[in-house]
Amino acid sequence: MNYEKKFDVIVIGGGHAGTEAALAAARMGANTLLLTHNIGTVGEMSCNPAIGGIGKGHLVKEIDAMGGAMGRAADQGGIQFKILNRSKGPAVRATRAQADRVLYKQAIRNVVENQPNLSFFQQAVDDLIVENACVQGVVTQGGIRFYAKAVVLTTGTFLGGKIHLGDRNYAGGRAGDPPSIALANRLRELPFRVGRLKTGTPPRIDGRTIDFSILEPQRGDEPAPYFSFSRQTRFHPQQVACHITHTNKKTHEIIANNLNRSPLFSGAIEGIGPRYCPSIEDKITRFAERDAHQIFIEPEGLETHEVYPNGISTSLPFDVQFALVRSIRGLENAHITRAGYAIEYDYFDPRDLKPTLETRALSALFFAGQINGTTGYEEAAAQGLLAGMNAACLSLEKAPWVPKRSESYLGVLVDDLITLGTKEPYRMFTSRAEYRLILREDNADYRLTPIARQYGLVSDSEWQAFEEKMEAIEQESQRLHNLWVRPNTSVATHLETVLDKPLERETRALDLLKRPELHYADLVLAEGKSLGVSDPLVAEQIEVRVKYAGYIDAQGKEVARNERHESLRLPQGINYANVSGLSNEILEKLTCVQPETLGQAARIPGVTPAAISLLLVYLKKRGHLRDAERNLA
Amino acid sequence: MVQSEIDTIVAETTPRGRGGVGVVRISGPKTCDIAKQILKKIPPARQGQYLSFLDNQGNCIDEGIALLFKAPHSFTGEDVLELQGHGSPIIMDCLVKTAVAAGARLAMPGEFSLRAFLNNKLDLLQAEAISDLINANSLQAARGALRSLQGVFSEMVNTLVADLINLRMYVEATIDFPEEEIDFLSDGKIEKKLNTILDTVKQIRVRAEQGALMSSGINVAIIGRPNAGKSSLLNALSGYDRAIVTDIPGTTRDVLRESIVMDGLLVQLVDTAGLRMDADIVEKEGIQRALKEIGIADHIILVVDGTKTSETHPDKLFPEWIESFPAGIGITVLYNKIDKLNISANRQEQPGYTVLSVSIKTGEGLDALKAHLKKAVGFSSEEGEIVARRRHLEALKIAEHHLLQGHQQLVEFKAGELLAEELRQAQLALDQITGKFTTDDLLGKIFSEFCIGK
Repeated sequence: MNYEKKFDVIVIGGGHAGTEAALAAARMGANTLLLTHNIGTVGEMSCNPAIGGIGKGHLVKEIDAMGGAMGRAADQGGIQFKILNRSKGPAVRATRAQADRVLYKQAIRNVVENQPNLSFFQQAVDDLIVENACVQGVVTQGGIRFYAKAVVLTTGTFLGGKIHLGDRNYAGGRAGDPPSIALANRLRELPFRVGRLKTGTPPRIDGRTIDFSILEPQRGDEPAPYFSFSRQTRFHPQQVACHITHTNKKTHEIIANNLNRSPLFSGAIEGIGPRYCPSIEDKITRFAERDAHQIFIEPEGLETHEVYPNGISTSLPFDVQFALVRSIRGLENAHITRAGYAIEYDYFDPRDLKPTLETRALSALFFAGQINGTTGYEEAAAQGLLAGMNAACLSLEKAPWVPKRSESYLGVLVDDLITLGTKEPYRMFTSRAEYRLILREDNADYRLTPIARQYGLVSDSEWQAFEEKMEAIEQESQRLHNLWVRPNTSVATHLETVLDKPLERETRALDLLKRPELHYADLVLAEGKSLGVSDPLVAEQIEVRVKYAGYIDAQGKEVARNERHESLRLPQGINYANVSGLSNEILEKLTCVQPETLGQAARIPGVTPAAISLLLVYLKKRGHLRDAERNLA
Repeated sequence: MVQSEIDTIVAETTPRGRGGVGVVRISGPKTCDIAKQILKKIPPARQGQYLSFLDNQGNCIDEGIALLFKAPHSFTGEDVLELQGHGSPIIMDCLVKTAVAAGARLAMPGEFSLRAFLNNKLDLLQAEAISDLINANSLQAARGALRSLQGVFSEMVNTLVADLINLRMYVEATIDFPEEEIDFLSDGKIEKKLNTILDTVKQIRVRAEQGALMSSGINVAIIGRPNAGKSSLLNALSGYDRAIVTDIPGTTRDVLRESIVMDGLLVQLVDTAGLRMDADIVEKEGIQRALKEIGIADHIILVVDGTKTSETHPDKLFPEWIESFPAGIGITVLYNKIDKLNISANRQEQPGYTVLSVSIKTGEGLDALKAHLKKAVGFSSEEGEIVARRRHLEALKIAEHHLLQGHQQLVEFKAGELLAEELRQAQLALDQITGKFTTDDLLGKIFSEFCIGK
């Protein structure tokens, strides 16, 4: 049967990508339907109970700056917060929270349920309705046909999912959930390049059977930081500690003796796993010289005893898991509540996507999350936001948004995916961002909230708070610029208790802040009068901008220099064989990636500066260079 | 450093190292500023003036004609300055270096023509020609770069880059994986590694500056079938028995080099092992080296034993090797042993190659060969070793600057992420010598070195 109403946007999947996609589309005013096989698992954290981390925290802040749910939910569900790299500079500091699975899921469910323009429906999707290479809607398992102007597919590990536990394997989308086989088969008929990836989880343990008294506790930061710029959450839940233990020689021996029973080594697993999140059997094989590996015992929640031993993800048979867990200090009597497993699933080569995350082959179809070869909640959610936003743009006939590498980690993520593709599950790292010093957690709102506002993604109250913050930064910076500190005054004497070198001449207070040892709080304290701002986020911005000024300028110039190539759009469907002088190798690469801009073309590995010159000549010859773009060499 | 929207570029536009007059061309928005620095004035447009050319310390490099063209009435459509001086490689190199110090960057192969084309200074019909030019010049530049990277210089640069990558691996791992018990920034190792790298850069720069002009010359590869007379030719041209010459095919198992000066033109002759597909292992090694030499040659002499074949077409003589020859390279086919054939020396021009009939044994036709070689390589406009070396030196200079900044960030401010940024910039500069090193490559190194991941 046909469902009576045609939607603007349908989102398939209720994970981190799906929820952000549906929420973003709905916030923009698109009539949105979220289709999931199980409404009860919306917002589920299928892997480790943590949000954020280096590079990932940056993505969470960006999602939040654009009105997304992840940061807020993590604030509400977080039971331990840390700023990683606190001792290093602001660009590489990142927030991470251990989250209570139940609280996090509740928070997400709450946002989704209360979002205007958003409805849900519970049923698995088996088929896409396609006409003239354009997606028109979907067909569910029960035969209901839902029509929409745009469809976002966020299938996670469910497409053709296959779970491995030792020498046994079976079809599954996640422990306890069925896979999407019909949809996977349908998608394999469509013109997408498909591959297999693998990921895994460790066994879960009943915390009551762990001897925490002999383990090293790791507490969160106090006061606990927040992800969300809007700070709607006033208080975090109760905060708890993680614990650290290690594998040992005996553990490694148990694993080594049973490697032949691991599907990773027997050849049963063909999908490629992430190198930075290897299974324990992988670790002991590749780094045989190490006799211990760290394990973080992470609480799964406040209302459960289950813990997540992060660091021993494995697909070894259960009896080996049992023995290896019990060989670990503190876990000698551990009771495993759920076995670890590996899961293989289909993903599609992201080089078949446009930078809007719309597929090239079928218009109005968008992909987000693990289907694009990424791993991680944050990477998925960020793509979901972008795909949902652009699906809404398509159905509401607005221009789409393409994030830039110089503007956001989201831009780095998407550009990496569509330019380089991926061979292993893609995870964000700060080293992937060449403009790392300007893409900081602390300025995600400055970078993205104005864009989000243009697209209707942030509410009036959020926008007002943002404007007030920016105004406060501006005013206080101006005040400090006009404030002169003279040597041998009480302010100077006060400051010199902090300063490495005494003041030699009259100096603007703002310039004094350039000295690494001096912080805003010292300055305000030395002034004696409480003239400064009380909002620590405002103070932080002022200080970071001053301290990083030279590097921010330099990176800004690098951005400007590259902008000429970045903004030069290549016409669609160039036949690169017609570009004279290109080598076969480069021709092949350009044809495979179909870059959208000259800048993207230049980033394809193996594409030389000479090839870019040849492309320019071709574009000029075909009259594709406007006068304003002629000086591009 | 203030960057304008469009870079100003500089290059020597006359064939390198020979001829009485050399021309350095500068094009782009900073042209007039650079003119002021080198000439102490901005010359009037389109009027040649005889002026002193000064380096950035104000020393006179040369005297010659300066010609300024204002945009858009110039070859490239931008402001263009042409400095016509004496054609010595040293003078030309100094002028280029001064322009770079004043804010220009070295032009990429074919870049002046590309700009002219993009600025509507060249006809659309010339688009194909521009593409060909860019390609040909890039190939030549690549050969020049390869040659510049031979020997000690190459070893030192490779060490430098390997050390830098290793250092970045530690720094980036510390930043991206703070919970992996690998905080290298806090121990002294990083600074030690950085100091080593800084020392290496300095050493390379000094040695490269000294040697920049020493090894410039023409590379001629002598190749042919075993026993065709290659080694005899090398001996004949260089004047003493350098290669072992016997009647056993495949005697020359290594690569032999000889430098000779022909009327002031430095020619490096490279005698290669005989090209045979069915060679034994030792000789195979020699053939590998021969192919390497061919890759960096300016000119190729194919020696043919006239008593064995009457064929003179390179494609037919060496069908299995011809693909290894650099595109567009000059080829001379030396039809040897005419003394045994009772014919006299002569010369035939063919499309893409020249055939000279000679007798290396009697010396008949060898003078004609020398004259031909001088002509064939003397007027090539290719980007050679000096330019390549200049590119490398500029890259090293930029890298050194960033390494020093990084050192300060580390030692004075303990700012690991700023050290990381300076190291990234240093690597970007060195990429010009070694090719792109991507973030993915770096992450690969990190994952293979450290056990990362909870």
